[in-house]
Amino acid sequence: MRPNYLFPFNTRYFGIALVLIHIPVKLIWDALYPSGYNHLHSTPTDSPDFLFSPPHLFFIGTTLMVLVGLFLVAFSRERVEDEQITQLRLDSLRWAIYVNYGILLFSLIFTYGQEVYHILLLNIWLPLLFFILRFQWVLYRLNRSARSNDSDSHS
Amino acid sequence: MKNNIRIERAIKDITQADLAERVGVSRQTINSIESNKYIPSTVLALKIARVFSKTVEEIFQLEKNDL
Repeated sequence: MRPNYLFPFNTRYFGIALVLIHIPVKLIWDALYPSGYNHLHSTPTDSPDFLFSPPHLFFIGTTLMVLVGLFLVAFSRERVEDEQITQLRLDSLRWAIYVNYGILLFSLIFTYGQEVYHILLLNIWLPLLFFILRFQWVLYRLNRSARSNDSDSHS
Repeated sequence: MKNNIRIERAIKDITQADLAERVGVSRQTINSIESNKYIPSTVLALKIARVFSKTVEEIFQLEKNDL
């Protein structure tokens, strides 16, 4: 068997925790500094203060939390990581890429300026989130069909 | 591709879970193979055939739409 380069099963809980923790942190920050987000864009990127300005550090911090969280959830092993699961995983990954580039192309054509920046922000986590949802959905369907076959054979 | 794993299991009187454990996959995968929703890799097909002490061709057969 080839190695599958996935994280251990339990790292998904750490990932979910990171994503969940990020939400109140972000809400509190937004409540404390309503202008924080705008401030980020008003600091010139060539100023030496930009990299270490609190809004930028906060942005990087929270983005990292969400990204690492989603990453751990998406790429942690299933309890039994067999070849069918691997195939479903790759299938879901392909759909995530299709959807992501579809939205990216569509929005690049029909938006400009500041909106493109928001689309790029969206693209940071959209493929991972879509992958997780799609993968969990097919796993759910797989389990359901296995269960219904069980009840068929018992009846 | 069709297979007669369900019949072979009945003959040998083992459950999907038993077979899954012996060949190192999840029970859902055995279920998918039995209901022709998933085509196993050659390695897995050989392992399944070995559990039933048969050749792969006795367990798995090509169908018309595979040709």
